[in-house]
Amino acid sequence: MDALDPLILARIQFAANISFHILFPTITIALGWALLGFKLAYNRTKDGAWMDAYRLWVKVFALSFAMGVVSGITMSFQFGTNWPGYMEKVGNIAGPLLAYEVLTAFFLEAVFLGIMLFGFSRVPNWVHTLATFLVAAGTTLSAFWIIVLNSWMQTPVGYEIRDGVVHATDWWAIIFNPSMPYRLTHMLLASALTVAFLIAGMSAWRWLKDGGGEGVRRTLKAALYAAALLIPVQIFVGDMHGLNTLEHQPQKVAAMEANWETQPHTPLILFAIPNEKARTNHLEVAIPSGASLILKHEAAGVVPGLNDYRGDHPPVAPLFWGFRIMVGLGMLMLAVSWLGAWLVWRRGVDALPRWYARALVAMTFAGWVATLAGWYVTEIGRQPWLVTGVLRTADAVGPVGGAMVASSLTLYLTVYAVLLTAYVAVLYRLARLGKAAPEGKPMFPLPGVAEGPAEPQSEAPA
Amino acid sequence: MTPFVDPWWLPVIFAGLMGLSILLYVILDGYDLGVGMLTRLEKDANRDLMVASIGPFWDANETWLVLGIGLLLVAFPVAHGLILTQLYLPVVLMLIALILRGVSFEFRAKAPPEHKQRWDNAFFGGSLLTALCQGYMLGAYVLGFDQSFAAVLFCLLAALGLVAGYIFVGACWLIYKVEGDLQKRAVRWAEISLWATALAMAIISIATPLLSERIFDRWFRLPEIIALLPIPIASATLFVGLAIFLRRPLREKDELSWVPLAVAGILFALGFVGIAYSFYPYLIADRLDIWQAAASPEALSIILIGALFVLPVILGYSVLAHWIFRGKATHLSYE
Repeated sequence: MDALDPLILARIQFAANISFHILFPTITIALGWALLGFKLAYNRTKDGAWMDAYRLWVKVFALSFAMGVVSGITMSFQFGTNWPGYMEKVGNIAGPLLAYEVLTAFFLEAVFLGIMLFGFSRVPNWVHTLATFLVAAGTTLSAFWIIVLNSWMQTPVGYEIRDGVVHATDWWAIIFNPSMPYRLTHMLLASALTVAFLIAGMSAWRWLKDGGGEGVRRTLKAALYAAALLIPVQIFVGDMHGLNTLEHQPQKVAAMEANWETQPHTPLILFAIPNEKARTNHLEVAIPSGASLILKHEAAGVVPGLNDYRGDHPPVAPLFWGFRIMVGLGMLMLAVSWLGAWLVWRRGVDALPRWYARALVAMTFAGWVATLAGWYVTEIGRQPWLVTGVLRTADAVGPVGGAMVASSLTLYLTVYAVLLTAYVAVLYRLARLGKAAPEGKPMFPLPGVAEGPAEPQSEAPA
Repeated sequence: MTPFVDPWWLPVIFAGLMGLSILLYVILDGYDLGVGMLTRLEKDANRDLMVASIGPFWDANETWLVLGIGLLLVAFPVAHGLILTQLYLPVVLMLIALILRGVSFEFRAKAPPEHKQRWDNAFFGGSLLTALCQGYMLGAYVLGFDQSFAAVLFCLLAALGLVAGYIFVGACWLIYKVEGDLQKRAVRWAEISLWATALAMAIISIATPLLSERIFDRWFRLPEIIALLPIPIASATLFVGLAIFLRRPLREKDELSWVPLAVAGILFALGFVGIAYSFYPYLIADRLDIWQAAASPEALSIILIGALFVLPVILGYSVLAHWIFRGKATHLSYE
């Protein structure tokens, strides 16, 4: 294969852009609701520790939001610069869905974010709380429309093809397409777990340093409880999502399980090196009938194999490994969060063993890794199709030459590497500074300040 | 579903909405980018204040670009692909510049103090590169993506022209948003950039009809020319009028500090109307018109329903945000 194959390069570029982008919505979707939770807890109790937590995490939110916005704008241009065939073929469906995302969600977030971040003393407290709510709702609505479109590309329904172009026939069917509810729930929970482990990890890091005060204890506990509650739900929803995929995209599941032959008593492969040329696995370690039990709920269940889809199934190794990374992290999250929730419930935050807190620190970004692995499984799993059965990826790529794409890809990767490093560094800096973080700049007296709560000070000893 | 308006009108309506979004973007993010470029001229507290003056707005302002390009994408998918593949390099550079500009807002305030200068540089560089790329794209678009040497020169000129224009509207924004010495300097910046902007607009207005016979005919033909004369006359009058006003702009209690910003907005709108008139009904000069490029009437109808409900709301809460953060800028804080 030519090293500068424009198709492969365009795919890598899209993957790089969307991977970088998804990191930040994954945080903002759930962090918005977490902030609303902190704010409501403060409104109810007037306890400054909640406001400390709000102040710290609203900064993380602002930073993540900005990263999400700018990388999201890149996404909206990618369709035109690299994949013009996509909109030409399915624009009549993708267009309205994207338009509704921008119209209903993007503006909502962008405008009320200003009030949420900078308006605390400019608007009454209830307006500030409302702005926090609207921003959280905006991010979630944004996720909804994007997941609708993505799911439609996986399991397209409600359309007809006239003169080679896709036309919508049933918008309800398109929006509530077969895989949408599962993918949406799975993603929202992934976001919640990512944020729970992020908050737990950063709080544990601060707690290990110097205790960090009541706000840190509060968020550590809340994050652990949230993670412990949500992870079993996520495992259940993930299983449902898998069964849904088996029904609609069996070749994707076959690749996830590296199962070559359609057969009963299909083993659950724990480890293997799939070889696509020889169409077999090396070094296989497997549980007999395991996959049949999980996917068909009986040992003799027939599980579809890759050989039924020769030349029309996704690459096996990335799916097989991506899926194992995601599930492995899920199991680890279950163990860590249940242990932590039990420890905190029995003995309180300050009695946590230090090794356990270090484990939480190690898992700070586990949600990112699991989410990315999951998306790689579902997106690579759609190949060779861009829209399953409707448009092949190779038919949508634009005329831009390989060298040009290679240069833009290099530029993007450089910028992303720098920004990601800076992002993580700033996160730790914010956690270290805690509630006293930056912008402790002089505030000019404001004319006609609306009545907000007085400067909430932490009553708890730090 | 059946379209609820005559299918002939749908592309026209969407071309109008797209034009409106792009115009609002150019004015609104124009002042952000202009202020971004002007930060280079100030230091420390003044620089912080300049950044603070756009802090609550830039996010929503930038979203008009997403809407404009989004409408091009969804309403005219064929044109979207054609235009963006032609403009591949400037688009990529602009996106990287927008990324740098956007994140620098956050990083400059949150990174360790010793790194602040770096993010200030990224903020300035990002704003400048964004303006240059957008100007270049405007030039390339006007010329129908001609790749000759003369065309590239014209594009570079357009790039500088848009930089001047953004600095002009940015300076006007500062006149409105800050006080004291900084405001006086903003007046000076506005006076200088005003003439550069006028020159750039004049060059583009003269070059466009000379490059295309069709556009020449649209402008210099009776009776249209009489109906169109007000556009250049109004532009020239406003430029001169504002230049006179800027000699003594700071009235009692700062009452008229909004005037330069308003005039700048009107001037941008006039320039935009001129370009739009030249091009209509083509999306790509003399090659692809809005009906050839449009998505299906069914798809357009469904977007239109949403747009008609949502656009007034968006405009409403954009105004609300500007009202909540009205008055002179203060140092931003999360209070």
